Amino acid sequence: MDSIIKRIEAEIASFSPIKGQEETGVVRATGDGIAEIDGLEKAVMAEMVMFDPTFDRALEDALKDADVTYGLILNLEEDGVRAAILGDASKVYEGMLVRRLGRLLSIPVGENLIGRVVNPLGAPVDGKGPVADTTERPIEREAYGVIDRSPVNTPIHTGIKAIDAMTPIGRGQRQLIIGDRGTGKTTIAIDTILNQKSEDPSTRPICVYVAIGQKESKTARIVAELFEKGAMEYSIVVTAPASNPAAFQFLAPFAGVSIAEYFMEKGKDVLIIYDDLSKQAVAYRQMSLLLRRPPGREAYPGDIFYLHSRLLERSAKLSKEKGGGSITALPIIETQENDISAYIPTNVISITDGQIFLETDLFNKGLRPAINVGVSVSRVGSAAQTKAMKKVSGKIKLELAQFRELEAFMQFASDLDENTKRQIDSGRRLTETLKQPNGKPLAFEMEAAVIYAATNGFFDTFPPEDTAKAESRLQEFLLREAQDELKAIRESRDLSDETIETLRGKLTQFVERS
Amino acid sequence: MEKTYAQALNNALQNGKKEDELVSWLLTHLKAEGRTKLLPAIVRELKALQARTKTLGATVEVALEADKATALTEARAEGIDATEVTVNPNLISGWRAREGGRLIDRSGKRALVDIYRRITS
Repeated sequence: MDSIIKRIEAEIASFSPIKGQEETGVVRATGDGIAEIDGLEKAVMAEMVMFDPTFDRALEDALKDADVTYGLILNLEEDGVRAAILGDASKVYEGMLVRRLGRLLSIPVGENLIGRVVNPLGAPVDGKGPVADTTERPIEREAYGVIDRSPVNTPIHTGIKAIDAMTPIGRGQRQLIIGDRGTGKTTIAIDTILNQKSEDPSTRPICVYVAIGQKESKTARIVAELFEKGAMEYSIVVTAPASNPAAFQFLAPFAGVSIAEYFMEKGKDVLIIYDDLSKQAVAYRQMSLLLRRPPGREAYPGDIFYLHSRLLERSAKLSKEKGGGSITALPIIETQENDISAYIPTNVISITDGQIFLETDLFNKGLRPAINVGVSVSRVGSAAQTKAMKKVSGKIKLELAQFRELEAFMQFASDLDENTKRQIDSGRRLTETLKQPNGKPLAFEMEAAVIYAATNGFFDTFPPEDTAKAESRLQEFLLREAQDELKAIRESRDLSDETIETLRGKLTQFVERS
Repeated sequence: MEKTYAQALNNALQNGKKEDELVSWLLTHLKAEGRTKLLPAIVRELKALQARTKTLGATVEVALEADKATALTEARAEGIDATEVTVNPNLISGWRAREGGRLIDRSGKRALVDIYRRITS
């Protein structure tokens, strides 16, 4: 009790009332999470304002509910400003006093955010109390320029064979995951986070998962999975669920990338997942229409492209002079009827450095991850691919493309020659090898060994439909019998002639024993 | 368009033009342009402008009747030139003045709310 009294006395003693003038305004009208404000003549774009409920109430009533609501100025007009209400819009009323805060929208960032779940304003929502030792960082800032960047040259392993082999991702890259609902987009993103557990802690990226407009149950499930598998030790979740106002859903990716930049500027690698940007675009469209900005195509505002480009441009691989940190972004876009030529998908495809296209038909056929190899591409990732992976996966894409062509042809032809049959069986085996269950990312060296076995005929003695089982047995075998080879691949990141020779010996043993 | 007309009228009024002249000019102009049907909307905009001007007009509030003169003088010294002072016991002590987008709050209530927020945050 004494300490409380002393603290209050100290606060009173140190208190000095505001001497100067404050810039204030009055709410003219409010509705749908937007407030029209008169009087904020010197307000600037993206500035924070505070809706003060205490101004026109008696002290007793004011102290009962002294919590302020914040707002974000988004429109500067001739006769006033319009602001998005960041909080409970029902607390904002006509005639309410609004104070300028004189700072751009910022969120608290710091090391202690790791392992936490926060909202787009940086407030914890996981019930674990406040986040200590944080510094404020504006959520909007200009991306790093050309001079500050270095080329993407280090891989980030997803642990998913099909991706690491065919559409590799480098640290600092922006790789879009695109597909219809229920095709496994989030699964790929979460598996990538889980796979970072196998990375050396010194090079392991900090992972930021931004959930935009998702069901709270889904986010809760993801957080539980990350906790259960120990991935929250290096992860941060920013959530703006579907129940949040549109302003929160619009801000969540920017909050996430601000957190990511904090770590990048400390020389660390960061992996950020935006799940998903289609919902952010929809939230931004809603806000823009409420702000009475002119609608364009599909009623999206004119700056919808800039919304995504300025966000994704903040992903970078910094130069050594800037600390060498990086932000790798995996934005997710949901398509309708697999139409990747729609407005938002084409926008984001053109901004990113490649895309992983997931198809409903492939998913329903049991091919998981349901990656359409023809449309998926990584524009910069191959420069970051390890030598080992390059050596084993060189021909996979071509072989699979040829197989798909033959497979289509096979539907009309009843009699096939031996060579074609062999090619088809080989394609089937390869397809089966690239299948991977949820939540089971593979270590890089295991991926390389398995793909080597698949592309060098070590599964040819098994019927194509049994390849998955054989692969699973091979993994067990390699973990048991080929530790030295796996270690050599892991450490050298290459597949030397010597390692190939010993690995081939082990693979032959496996085939003989099976 | 009605907003532009209303703002132009308001600006002209503030620049010292006579009300009767302004109205007659406006009516002549609207007739000539075939826009007389805009009149009700212009009136609506003018009313909104009037309300806004009133909301953002100079006001001084004091907690106690006895502080009226001091508050007016101090507010004037700070650049807020109000003609009337209202008594608001909710302020507890001191005074506060507002004009346009400026607020000067020297009330006891503000001080107490600030202390409360600092202690409870």
